[in-house]
Amino acid sequence: MDASNPMTISDAAPRRSGRVRQSRRVADRVLRTACLIATVVGAVVLGSILLMLIVQGVRGFTPAMFMHPTPGPGSEGGGIANAILGSLVLTGIGITIATPIGVMAGTYLAEYGRFSKIAGLIRFLNDILLSAPSILIGLFVYTLMVRPMGTYSGWAGGVALAIIAVPVIVRTTEDMMRLVPGTLREAGAALGAPPSTVIISVTWRAASAGIVTGIILALARIAGETAPLLFTALNNNSWFSPDLMGGVANLPVMIYQFALSPYPNWQSLAWAGALLITATILVLSIIARLVIKPQMSR
Amino acid sequence: MNAASAIPTVDLTRNHANEGGAVRIAVKGLNFYYGSFHGLKNVDINFHDRQVTALIGPSGCGKSTLLRCFNRIYSLYPEQRAEGQILLDGQNVLDPSVDLNDLRARIGMVFQKPTPFPMSIYDNVAFGLRLYEKLPKSELDGRVEQALRKSALWDEVKDKLRQAGTGLSGGQQQRLCIARTVAQSPEVILFDEPTSALDPISTGRIEELIEQLRDEFTIVIVTHNMQQAARISQFTAFMYLGELIEFGPTNRMFMNPVEQRTQDYITGRFG
Repeated sequence: MDASNPMTISDAAPRRSGRVRQSRRVADRVLRTACLIATVVGAVVLGSILLMLIVQGVRGFTPAMFMHPTPGPGSEGGGIANAILGSLVLTGIGITIATPIGVMAGTYLAEYGRFSKIAGLIRFLNDILLSAPSILIGLFVYTLMVRPMGTYSGWAGGVALAIIAVPVIVRTTEDMMRLVPGTLREAGAALGAPPSTVIISVTWRAASAGIVTGIILALARIAGETAPLLFTALNNNSWFSPDLMGGVANLPVMIYQFALSPYPNWQSLAWAGALLITATILVLSIIARLVIKPQMSR
Repeated sequence: MNAASAIPTVDLTRNHANEGGAVRIAVKGLNFYYGSFHGLKNVDINFHDRQVTALIGPSGCGKSTLLRCFNRIYSLYPEQRAEGQILLDGQNVLDPSVDLNDLRARIGMVFQKPTPFPMSIYDNVAFGLRLYEKLPKSELDGRVEQALRKSALWDEVKDKLRQAGTGLSGGQQQRLCIARTVAQSPEVILFDEPTSALDPISTGRIEELIEQLRDEFTIVIVTHNMQQAARISQFTAFMYLGELIEFGPTNRMFMNPVEQRTQDYITGRFG
């Protein structure tokens, strides 16, 4: 508009607010730079891990890997089909056990136990379980199942994975159900619906996308777990057998064993397995985002 | 009309002029506590059959608390309790032996913010109907249509009954919630500031609707809007700090209040 006005404002501004203004600008710049550096460092580390994984993994990532079982020591070729199948079965068992327990417990914490002290205790223990070292859970299931049964087994592996998935599902279920506005529950109750009906037809429905997301994230979490399987499902170098009363091949333990081996074809299969797991987790995370998106935008 | 049998048990001359329909709800010596906070103090008030009674007063005066006593919705929260009597057709609804779900089917409630359930428009209205009756589909369809017509929503949604109730506009959602309540054929409908989240046009439609619903239901409405109370109610109760200060026919309450505090509030001197 007029050229003189900006001049007077810029002249007056520093005088009016003095040093404070300058120091704030500096603080802003420092913080912004620090955040930027931290972001770059994090992104570079993550990026180089992924890059290395892709470069190394792609070599072993062949159609053959889906068709052949793990090779014996010193033999050529081979694949990881038994480990892929075994991992699917173990994660399947884990999530099948964990989902009903986790959703029910989360529902208890968010609904029935909202005002009880016991719920507070359960929530606290659940948070501890959530961050418990997974090797501890492997040892727990080893003592609980493997020792008494006298054999490593797929069942034990599935149970160990379930124990890891349960606290994740409990937590997300409770959080998501708490996000459902209290007035919605009141509206259900005001129509004369008993609490169970309100939970099943209103709260669960309103929170369904979030609960499903929690289950998918738990699935992604247990898909890559190694430590709990070392003591439970262990491994198996032959084709997957429907009898789960013995060791069951799985990707994480296969990667652990093959990566440490002296055989180049084993090492390359370990990279390929690692890439496969990472890609699977990525896909699961994307699905989880897609599931929750429509709810967030509502 | 069967409410007439309740009249002899109720003292009509206590707080107000005996005008309008028979007494449907009689509140006697009602006290309410939020933990140790005394939210309602010895409230006595009568609500008349098929009349609109407005509860007015500044924020925190206890008008919503009073409303929440009638269907005992407060009992969802363990630290809240009510003492005294609320007689609905002669029966004390605060009596622990009263079946809550049955009570809430008889006394419907509409909330401040629209609360459509995450399901289709049809299922929202049918929700209450499906709770206790297994109706053949044709009859359920009929009842849903009837409720939506009574709530002045039918023409707007008849072609999209299977769409989500949450996709409607705010005013439509509120009418959907009214339809959901009306579908249960309650005797009393409680409105807790039903238009405070709505624009003026939607507010006007809800007010018209309440006017029509008066033919069939006894209505209690909490409102912060004095003009709204004056427009739609036949009786007005003014509350302040947990007490009922004054109650009477709306005309008299606004033209010629007895209490100085009522006068001050309706003329905007505090609130």
